[in-house]
Amino acid sequence: MKKTTRFLIAALVLVGAVAYLMYTGVQQTAVYYLTIEEFLSKREALADEGVRVAGRVAPGSVSRRITDRGEELKFQLGDFKDDKAAPDRTIPVYFVGIVPDMFKTEGGSDVIVEGTFRGGTLQAQSVLTSCPSKYEAGAPGGAGS
Amino acid sequence: MVDVGALAIAIAWVFALYAVGMSLAGAYWRKRDFVASGENASLAVWGLTCIATAALLHALVTHDFNLEYVAHYSSTTLPIQYTIAALWGGQAGSLLFWALLLTSMTAVVLLQNRETNREFMPYVNAVLMTVAVFFLSMVLFITPPFQRLAFTPAEGQDLNPLLQNYWMTIHPPALYLGFVACAVPFAFAVAALVTGKLGDVWIRSTRRWTLFAWFFLSMGNLFGAEWAYLVLGWGGYWAWDPVENAAFMPWLTCTAFLHSVMIQEKKNMLKVWNMVLVILTFLLTIFGTFLTRSGVISSVHSFTQSGLGPFFMGFLALMAVLSVGLVLWRLPLLKSENQLDSMLSRESAFLLNNLVLVGIAFAVFWGTIFPVISEAVRGVKITVGPPFFNRVNAPLGLILLFLTGVGPVIAWRRASARNLQKNFLLPVAVGFGAGLALFAAGIRHYAALLSFSLCAFVMVTVVVEFYRGVRARQAMVGENPFTALVRLVGKNRRRYGGYIVHVGVVMMFLAITGTSAFREEKQITVKPGDTFPLGGYTLRYDGATGRDTPHISYLVGTVAILKDGKQIDTLYPEKRFYKKPEQPTTEVAIRSTLGGDLYLVLGAYDNATSTATIQAYVNPLIGFLWWGGVVLALGTVVTIWPARVAARGPVYVPSRGESVVRE
Repeated sequence: MKKTTRFLIAALVLVGAVAYLMYTGVQQTAVYYLTIEEFLSKREALADEGVRVAGRVAPGSVSRRITDRGEELKFQLGDFKDDKAAPDRTIPVYFVGIVPDMFKTEGGSDVIVEGTFRGGTLQAQSVLTSCPSKYEAGAPGGAGS
Repeated sequence: MVDVGALAIAIAWVFALYAVGMSLAGAYWRKRDFVASGENASLAVWGLTCIATAALLHALVTHDFNLEYVAHYSSTTLPIQYTIAALWGGQAGSLLFWALLLTSMTAVVLLQNRETNREFMPYVNAVLMTVAVFFLSMVLFITPPFQRLAFTPAEGQDLNPLLQNYWMTIHPPALYLGFVACAVPFAFAVAALVTGKLGDVWIRSTRRWTLFAWFFLSMGNLFGAEWAYLVLGWGGYWAWDPVENAAFMPWLTCTAFLHSVMIQEKKNMLKVWNMVLVILTFLLTIFGTFLTRSGVISSVHSFTQSGLGPFFMGFLALMAVLSVGLVLWRLPLLKSENQLDSMLSRESAFLLNNLVLVGIAFAVFWGTIFPVISEAVRGVKITVGPPFFNRVNAPLGLILLFLTGVGPVIAWRRASARNLQKNFLLPVAVGFGAGLALFAAGIRHYAALLSFSLCAFVMVTVVVEFYRGVRARQAMVGENPFTALVRLVGKNRRRYGGYIVHVGVVMMFLAITGTSAFREEKQITVKPGDTFPLGGYTLRYDGATGRDTPHISYLVGTVAILKDGKQIDTLYPEKRFYKKPEQPTTEVAIRSTLGGDLYLVLGAYDNATSTATIQAYVNPLIGFLWWGGVVLALGTVVTIWPARVAARGPVYVPSRGESVVRE
């Protein structure tokens, strides 16, 4: 019995260590994942917190230019629920880096933007585009920063 | 032709149901002809699924655009290998492909066991055909691949250019082979539970299937990583994306299972644990298949909701309840015959190895489904990204690496001080020395130092094992070292094959450590003639030129690589613009050396000013990941290779009604 108890304790220590790592891992790296509506309603509460927002690039809202720091990308991110032609509300997004290949300059791409909301704009750390609409086996699409 | 396909699936579905029923009835009422009928039905299911797959392939290859699937995923200009790959490129086709692999493997299992394991086979057949019924149901009722359009388009929408590379032809099939093969040990485990024959016959019968599954899970994951690295251009190979995790989790539990069965075979311990592991592995493959298709976890793979989610969850729940129920029912029979004697023993090392692997799988699972849980509990979706996974898994990975050196060498039952000294003094010394040497060379990243030391430690244990084995043969038989080595491995394929696999694993840890701890990254806007330093090199941007063909426009950047003022190489990162459909892609330029990769991506380009943005990475030691994979593959082949049946050793005589298992 003694041996088994000793082993059980060792196992519990390991489990405890893993649990601790996971708990602190979540605390430190968790990021809210929101739709545009949710984001806009929580805007003040989320200032300076990391967020991840999914939406669609409003057509005609994209501006791209090359700067010293990389390609500067600005666009409006909207919630095009039910494939509406124009969204009710949009968020301005600002990103500097390599823009993913699948990001359409004319707008309309479905994207996930991860960043911090500061000064009225979502300062993006990464902009991810999707694989084309249906299930496609394998590759993730686009490059993040 | 395609109506043949649809009909074939429908008949296959009926036969599969029949096979399940007849096998179970035959087992229950002990009617051998029922069981035989069930097996024949399974073979018929296989044949019919082949016909359906052939029909879809035929439609793809002959460009039958009246079929929605063909119109969506191919075109007249698509090269033939991608036209074939379109078979698994879309939802419906991939499910049919799953069914094809499953029914093929079932046929092989049935033929392999027509003279053995007769008490098991009705249940094995029933389980495998139940899974087949599920996938055939999806293909028949939910996502039929033979749906016709009201008209026939002149041209197809084509396979996305991002998928038109040779990885598309090997990554999905490899991963599917791994996933599907996990059903076989699971089926045998269920059969063992139902029949109450819980010795290690079921394990020995499925050992090669488990290795086969593990091999393809490993290769599938590595191909995916290599694809992401070479083609997608974000500089890395693993992003802890939900779909990557979905393929990784079964690999982890399968690895655990591969190791813990050795304990059951040698010591008759861990029977419940082995059951849990094999069931968990199978459930994770179904979960992984589900995760790739539903919109439940947002991932760059699965932006859309599909109607399959609830069905997969239902099937998963059903199989989970049935398996767990069987284990609970048989719990008394699963008692171990032996106990753990000491913490310093091989049993203990293997057990710890298992705990760590399952721990990693749990952490990955938790991180993957966290958004779903947090939404259910707190009403808001919270995600965790690569920092979470790396933070949790890095320490666990290091423990695993350590155990890789300890497990194969430490004594069974109880390691004496003498045994520890004999086996571990040299490896520990070398490991420590390696750490010190690297520290002296200026490396201060402590986790990396530990990792490299452990890599050295493990390598020495493996080398010593080979050395001792060769010397022993030389002493006994007087062979030259080379012959001794070949014969040593040949006569102990399982053991030395395993060691080779471990070498592959060490190589992969080297790569992971190098890229995690020492990667460099630079993002810069340049005009022709500008230079910038990276990773000990100087890079000079020499401009970009355009080139036009009917299908593709090219923008080719030229970057000179200089070391100590001299140009040693040139790299050509590209941007391509496919014209039909309109799609830009990035062609990464990579310079690979033993020490690592120099990796360049051409970003935006302004024609007027000739300025370009470039993203440059240095990935130290990453070559060891791919070569480690090759070594791992070789090791697995050695382990799985059948020995000659006629041996000059003792003959295994069946006792107490156990069937003879051919090794």
